[in-house]
Amino acid sequence: MTTTTTTPQLALTRIFDAARALVYEAFTDPDQLAAWWGPIGNSLPRDEIEFDVRSGGHQRWTEVFAADPRIRVNVHFNLVQVVDGELLDGTMHVTGQLPEGLEPFETRVRIEFHDEADRRTRLEVRQWLPEHLESPSEQGWLEAFTKLDAMLAA
Amino acid sequence: MPERTNEDLDLLFGALADVTRRGIVERLAVGEATVTELAAPFSISLPAISRHLKVLERASLITRSQQGRWRHARLSPTSLAGAATWLARYERLWAESFDRLDDHLARRTSEQQPTTQSETDTETQTERGRP
Repeated sequence: MTTTTTTPQLALTRIFDAARALVYEAFTDPDQLAAWWGPIGNSLPRDEIEFDVRSGGHQRWTEVFAADPRIRVNVHFNLVQVVDGELLDGTMHVTGQLPEGLEPFETRVRIEFHDEADRRTRLEVRQWLPEHLESPSEQGWLEAFTKLDAMLAA
Repeated sequence: MPERTNEDLDLLFGALADVTRRGIVERLAVGEATVTELAAPFSISLPAISRHLKVLERASLITRSQQGRWRHARLSPTSLAGAATWLARYERLWAESFDRLDDHLARRTSEQQPTTQSETDTETQTERGRP
């Protein structure tokens, strides 16, 4: 990973009205991820979901677009650090036939699961821009984006 | 990349802190478009779209050109515009996914209630599947 030292450009916070173990399961159980993940209209074929959730493991799936089934996006989330029930951190490799002429890219993603009062869960998602969209001279801008995203998520 | 000033940053913040303008940036990622084309998905007037385009232009996120009778808007060929598009896309992806995750968790939680109240209601594999 080359982007670990920089500030994430996307910082989202969301509170879910469910216990932390349930929210973590929704991310790490293949049947459950297929029920909610991805842009509206996409489907995740069950036989193309393959999870090995542990530090050094992976989560792999394919997203098929309803509007154009030729668009098949392959996501390989290589897990660098996993803490059961608390943390998923790694690099997402996005390849395949991407929508709207998007180039394949790699993005670091960190998902933290925190307890909140009344058996609720606070999800903290951090995501880093793919390297080809980043350049050192734009660091100021990227920090600005991070603040903007935090503001929008609040 | 020219040096950015606080004034530039204010313009950028202002430009992206609006859901319609983020939508326009995302649409332009697909390719250039006229004001009429850009207005189609939104229930707002053409002059309102034009005002949004002026804001995006001042923030250097888009450029506009005259082609015959029509003015076309396109994303600036800077990685800043690319970064803005990419971030807008992911911001939307997470927001939409979180909404569905909310529903999914509500179903899971209600499935679990009977399990804890009555031992006869055992959770089966099919209940955990897709809706």
